[in-house]
Amino acid sequence: MKARIFAKAALCVSLLAVSVGSALAADNVKIGMIQPLSGPNSVFGVNCQRGMQLAVDMINEAGGIKSLGGAKLELVPADIPTPNTAAQATQRLISREKVSGIVGHFVSSSTLAASEVTERMKVPLVTFAFADQITERGYKYSFQVTPKGTVFGADQFNYIYDMMKDHGKAPKKIAILYEDTAYGTTQAKGLRAAAQAKGVEIVVDEAYPLGITDANPLINKIRATSPDIVFPVSYFNDALLLIRGMRQQGINIPAVGGAAGYVINDFRKGLGEYCEGILSVASSNQDLAPKDFVDRFEKQYGVMPTHDAISHAVAVDVMAKAIEKAGSADPKKIRDALAETNTCDGIASAIPGKCVVFDKNGLNTKTFPILVQWRGERLVTVYPKDVATSEPVLPQ
Amino acid sequence: MKFKGVTLNARTAVYLCLAVAFLIPLGMDPDGYLLRIVSMVVLFAAMAQAWNIVGGLANQLSLGHAAFFGLGAYTSTLLFIRQGISPWAGMLAGGVVAAVAMLLLSIPLFRLRGHYFALATLAFAEVLKIIAIHFADLTEGPTGITIPYGEPSFANFQFESNTSYYVVIVALFAVVSLIFWKLSTGAMGFRLRAIRENEQAAEVSGIDTYRIKLGTSMVSAFTMGMCGTVYAQFTYFFDPESIFSMTGISVRVALICIIGGMGRLWGPLIGACILIPLDEIAVNTMSDVAGLGPFVTSVILIAAIIYEPRGLISAWERLRRRAQKKHAAQSGQAAGAV
Repeated sequence: MKARIFAKAALCVSLLAVSVGSALAADNVKIGMIQPLSGPNSVFGVNCQRGMQLAVDMINEAGGIKSLGGAKLELVPADIPTPNTAAQATQRLISREKVSGIVGHFVSSSTLAASEVTERMKVPLVTFAFADQITERGYKYSFQVTPKGTVFGADQFNYIYDMMKDHGKAPKKIAILYEDTAYGTTQAKGLRAAAQAKGVEIVVDEAYPLGITDANPLINKIRATSPDIVFPVSYFNDALLLIRGMRQQGINIPAVGGAAGYVINDFRKGLGEYCEGILSVASSNQDLAPKDFVDRFEKQYGVMPTHDAISHAVAVDVMAKAIEKAGSADPKKIRDALAETNTCDGIASAIPGKCVVFDKNGLNTKTFPILVQWRGERLVTVYPKDVATSEPVLPQ
Repeated sequence: MKFKGVTLNARTAVYLCLAVAFLIPLGMDPDGYLLRIVSMVVLFAAMAQAWNIVGGLANQLSLGHAAFFGLGAYTSTLLFIRQGISPWAGMLAGGVVAAVAMLLLSIPLFRLRGHYFALATLAFAEVLKIIAIHFADLTEGPTGITIPYGEPSFANFQFESNTSYYVVIVALFAVVSLIFWKLSTGAMGFRLRAIRENEQAAEVSGIDTYRIKLGTSMVSAFTMGMCGTVYAQFTYFFDPESIFSMTGISVRVALICIIGGMGRLWGPLIGACILIPLDEIAVNTMSDVAGLGPFVTSVILIAAIIYEPRGLISAWERLRRRAQKKHAAQSGQAAGAV
């Protein structure tokens, strides 16, 4: 009997302790994470999640949000495999989980769908997606840390054009192959315009559906027209098919990929030796990011952090700094602080250009795309010259 | 059932409960997640009901209803953005465009039956998706269309509160269900049932099967087009990939109807009440393991189909019949005792 009373008392005391304890600690600040965690794009989503989680961990270990009494950040994930589910998932994060802000999504169309909800419910969204429209609609709650898709396309062309010109052999004819998704078409648009501005002939300009299983018709076109450079813009599987197909058939025309599928670890794993020397544009790279972040990422996950993980970590850091500045978990106040973002340190400095400053539409004005190249197991930055860590290896 | 002197018919009681159930969401948090899910359930029930008109009544299994759904969404949205025409008028225009598309499609397609008809409709939706992607001047291409975020007003079909959208969606469901009910009862219902059971026999007994099938198909396409407009206004954004989606729209509405009960008035609502929350729970709780969510959902759906091939509505009816039998037996005993 005595034992039972004792047990009851102990239970009461411990319950009390738990409730007092949780009341004393500062409330966590929740950040919603929208990513494709299942379905065909999950290979990217999981990568992005790693970068974001690491950024959150590092911010928390450095003392959390100091203006909120050291409150910890908490990442609340929501899986958005297709744009159809974006609105519901975003609404759940906002009204159920009461997140202070949302970071993501990797895919443009899902980001656009989610931004319709964040704008109406007045919760800030910091995204990595490339689509031009994200910051062209005059929305107040959408922020884009990376350049726009057409800018990526234009620089995908201009960078390699300038590089080859420096080597005394400017390309005369090129091929553009792109997925008929929002990302593919936007970027191809920028590419096409840049090539036309330089008077370069476009001998292949082909859109193809996402998820093709046979790249041979495309490769045959390239063989028939023998362009100086091939510009493929695609997600993962078709990137593998295209490059593997070309190299296996002995077509060694240099390829300059359009980020996405060309700059992730699985690309190298899938291609093996064919991967060596492939160029691509990217929004950021491991050799430009803070060393502590890169080292820790590699230690924790066993792979090199790629640009999607890094740029999403930047987005988280930008959000955290806005929360710090706002001194509040109120989404509206965080949005106002985000609009005045001017940061050049911490994880945010991983972005090329080192700084994040948003214009009135929410687009980061300080950053620019970079050109990266596969060397063994790593991606190195080869262009523009002022940030390059290595000389490009160009085919002879 | 006798209740304080008022005789309450069992059927009336069910309808009363249903009416109350439809009223409950009006009290939910307008910015809430729950209201959004409930709205999606009713919207998908309306879409499945539109499918039910052709799939359940005329027995033409369509796996391409996303085509009409997308045509409705594109028509009203483009009219609104380019010409400033109210989406309410656009909704009717979208319905007409969808119905005309069905008319054109039916001329070659009605020669096909069963699986072949299903495959042809499936291809039609895929073709429209490709057109929407590649004719960017007309459709804005693969980036999709954003409904401009303007001042909420009734004329613009934009509301401040999600509760208003819910009311519109329930009204839509009511309209489509009413059409379904009108078609399934009376002389038309008999003709359709005759066609469903044996088309040749129906033809011989003087039913113009071609015209009746064509008419119901067009009505189905028209209502599906209207659903497309409402969906576009409710989600504010759509792209060819999601609006003409085979798995997301075409197969889903058919599945909702099959799970709930094909050709039955309440089948789509029952199906939607099960499928939409199931998908939502799966995506919210099982995303850690790749593919687990869809796997679990599929297993549950397969089990449901095996358990009740004619739809879950028949399970409900079996229960009711059993209860009635028991009731009758009891009252019989009681009468015997007296």
